[in-house]
This record gives sequence, C-alpha cells and structure tokens, in this order.
Amino acid sequence: MTDPYKVLNVSPNATDEEVKHAYRELARKYHPDNYHDNPLADLAQEKMKEINEAYEQVQRQRKARSGYTAQQGSYSSYSYSSTSYQTAGADPLLRRVRIAINNGDITQAERLLNEAQEHNADWNFLMGIVCHRRGWMDDAKRYIQTACQMDPDNAEYRKAMEMFNNSGYQPAGFRGFGSMTYGNSDCMRLCAAWSCCVLSGGRCCIC
Amino acid sequence: MFGYVRPAAHRLSEEENERFRAAYCGLCHTLGRKYGFAARFLLNYDFTLLAILLSLGTDTRIGCRRCVVHPCKGCSAMNASSALDTAAAYSVVLSWWQLQDHIADHGFFAALGYRFAALLLRRAYRKARADAADFDTAVRAQLQKLSEREAAHCASLDAAAEPFATLLSQLALAEPDVLKRRVYAQLFYHLGRWIYLVDAADDFTDDAKSGNYNPIRYRYSLSGDALTDEVRCALGETLDASIRQMASAYALLDAGAWTGVLDSIFYDSLYGIGGAVLRGVYRKPSRLRHEQTTEGDTQ
Repeated sequence: MTDPYKVLNVSPNATDEEVKHAYRELARKYHPDNYHDNPLADLAQEKMKEINEAYEQVQRQRKARSGYTAQQGSYSSYSYSSTSYQTAGADPLLRRVRIAINNGDITQAERLLNEAQEHNADWNFLMGIVCHRRGWMDDAKRYIQTACQMDPDNAEYRKAMEMFNNSGYQPAGFRGFGSMTYGNSDCMRLCAAWSCCVLSGGRCCIC
Repeated sequence: MFGYVRPAAHRLSEEENERFRAAYCGLCHTLGRKYGFAARFLLNYDFTLLAILLSLGTDTRIGCRRCVVHPCKGCSAMNASSALDTAAAYSVVLSWWQLQDHIADHGFFAALGYRFAALLLRRAYRKARADAADFDTAVRAQLQKLSEREAAHCASLDAAAEPFATLLSQLALAEPDVLKRRVYAQLFYHLGRWIYLVDAADDFTDDAKSGNYNPIRYRYSLSGDALTDEVRCALGETLDASIRQMASAYALLDAGAWTGVLDSIFYDSLYGIGGAVLRGVYRKPSRLRHEQTTEGDTQ
C-alpha cells in the first residue's frame, strides 16, 4: 500500500496539527465544488478517496501507538454526484437531453437540443450545461443567465450559476487573484459593481 | 503559438528560475539539433510549458551546454528527452501552418517576410511532419475550421476559440498514460482557449484599425477601436474561467520538482498576463536571458 504520509505530503515526524493542516489543504484542493460539471470530476473523486484513506490510516496508526485522543474525522461525506441532473420533467425531449448529459454523451445532448422547437428556460439551462462540459465558458454563462432570467425562482439554475462565481482552489499565498483584479483594486471594485449589476438583473446574485 | 505563458519570475527561487531556463534552453537545443538552426527562432514560452508538462513523471536531467547565445560560459539545459522532441516537432509543425495562414491572409508583397521565413523553415517542417504526422493533419483541419469561422464573422468567443483550443488539446495524444492524457487534453484545451482570447484582446486595436476579424468585436458588438470597461470585465471573467479549469486539471498531476514553476503559472502569472493585456499594458517579453528586465510586466 502507498505510504499515507507520502499521499498527504508530510513527514512521518510531523505533528498531529501539521498532518491535519496538510489533509485540510488537500481536501480543499480536490473539493467537489472545484470540479462541478468538470470532465475530470471522477479523477478528483479518486484523489479525495486516496487522501481520506491516508488520513484515516495515519490517525489509526498514531492512536494505536500512544493512546492517542480522537481527532476530527475525514470529509468522507463529500459528494461528487452533483454533476448528475434530475431527469424528471414535462418535456420528453428535454428529459432525453438530461439522460444524455448524465451519460456523458454531449454530442447526442446537443443534437437533441437542436431539434427542440421551443427555447424555454429549461432548454437554455441544458444548452448552458452542454456548453460548460465542452469548455465553452462564455456561451455556457450566457445560456444559464438567460435561463435564470426566464425562471428566476428555479433553484437548479441558480446553483448552476454559482459555478461561475467559484474561484476554484488557490493555494496559500496565491488567493484572491483574477485577471482584472491582479494588482489593481480599482478594477476589482469596478468589476464587482458591474457583475452585481448584470447578475442582479437576472436575479441570480446573492450580493 | 504566441509566447504568452511564462512563470511569475518574482515568485520563483533561484533554483526554480534556473530550472525553467534549463527547459527553455533544452527546447532551443532540441530544435537546433533536430530541425536545423532556423528552427531555433521558433522557440517560445508556450512550448517550453508544453515540454515541462509532457516531461512530468519522467527522469529529466539538466546538463551544461554551449550555444551561439552562450558560447563561452554555456548554460544549464534539460538533456534530450522524448518530451523535448515532441514539443520541438509540434512547435515546428504549428509555426509552419501559422506562417502559411499569414501568407494566405496577406497580399504577395505584404507576405514577403512570411514567405522568406517559410522558405527557411521548409526543410525543418518536412522533418517535423514525418515525426508528428497525426498532429500535422489535426493542425491543418483545425486551422481550416478557424479560417471558415473567421470568414463567417463568428460572434461566439467560444466557437471562434474552439479550433485553436482543440488543436492544442491534440498535444495530449503524445502522452501514453490514459488518465494523464485526459488531464492534459482538458488542460491544453483551456490553455488554447486562453491563448486565443488573450491574443484577440491584445490585437483588438490593431484589428479594429486594419478591419481584420476579431471575435471580441462581434461578441460585444463594439464599433470603436478600444475595449470598454464592461467588456474588459466580461473578458476577464471568461479568461479566469479557463484558468480555473487549467488549475483544476493541473491539481491532478504530480508536478514533482516542477511544482514551484507550474504553481506560479497556473495560480498566478496567467492572471497577471491576462490582466496586463486587458488593461493594455502588456509588453511581449524578449528572449529569456533578458527576463530580469521584463519580469515586472505581469505585476
């Protein structure tokens, strides 16, 4: 079996606090929020499993060695299943689109979407998800924004919109970067104001 | 390729800076050794990053080499490896087709410089095509798609960026490990998308003056020759989305000794370079030996 200390990237002589810190940093790195609707989510899930097992193993070893007091457990309840979309819905065509997306068949999902006559909120939402899976980030945001504007109370659409606000994993010392905020706080204020204005127009913003 | 991607030098230790320089010099030596002296002029930062990524998990040794730029003292350079060979072959193939694209886009006299460069590179291209035949086919197909979309004045940033992004994701085919290949494909797709959009933003004013196609003009229905603040913010957000996708793919790789260099690229300098381009303060860096005078560009 792989050395659990190697997985956690700490020395076997590290203190409990250092082990916990290393574990938390890795858990933050592979958190499902950073891999929402991401084609590599399964690999991140695998990594998270490996880290959880390593952390639990270290805890067990240390406990056995010296009547060690119980530590906080691992985050094994993290779920990566959020990238699966509910398939209940009135429109049979869009239901088939959701099944195709859940099966990872993006080409089929797009083909079906192009057949649809009516471009309602759900159509825009699903088109946004298809674009996002393809890496078409600007189009994805436009479609999901439209879905939010057409149906502002839909929780599923609002949750999808949050994908665009997640700043992803940034290690200590690198946090808070953005192209327009890099070393320029005026731009940050301007962009924040602009984002709020655009997003609240679609009632998708928490700010 | 355009040479935008480089590490945030101020974040690197002396050893890490030296390591990046060794990859850069190693690629230069490989270009010269395999494809002749003229091919050395194709050396750029983007392909140095590619060589580094493709070399992860392999035994990369650094030696001391002499060259025209460093004739007496020599410089540290990554020793020959399959990652450097691949990066060099892809670099020549892609540059060749970009030259052909420029020749097709300009009149006979305006394209004289490009024609001359193509003449110098013809032999190098033929050798590189033999080394990377699949990539050569992919590049031709994607650049053809790109010129069709440009001719149709495509108003979607993503549709316009897709051919170049797909083309870069083909670089992943050089990786034998299936899981790593998936990670590379995702990382290179967004690297390609980011490079294409940063280049479009960088060229926006020139394109507006010359009347050349620029996806940003059509996406945001702009009529002037400068980006507005709203467009800058929107572009910044979409560039950040690609950087985050790259970072989430990079997090799945074991970067080993390259961790410092690659962290500084995916968590820092891409934001700085994109921001500098959007604010109109970006200056293309000169060759690496002058890095000390240009490292402040991204701040």
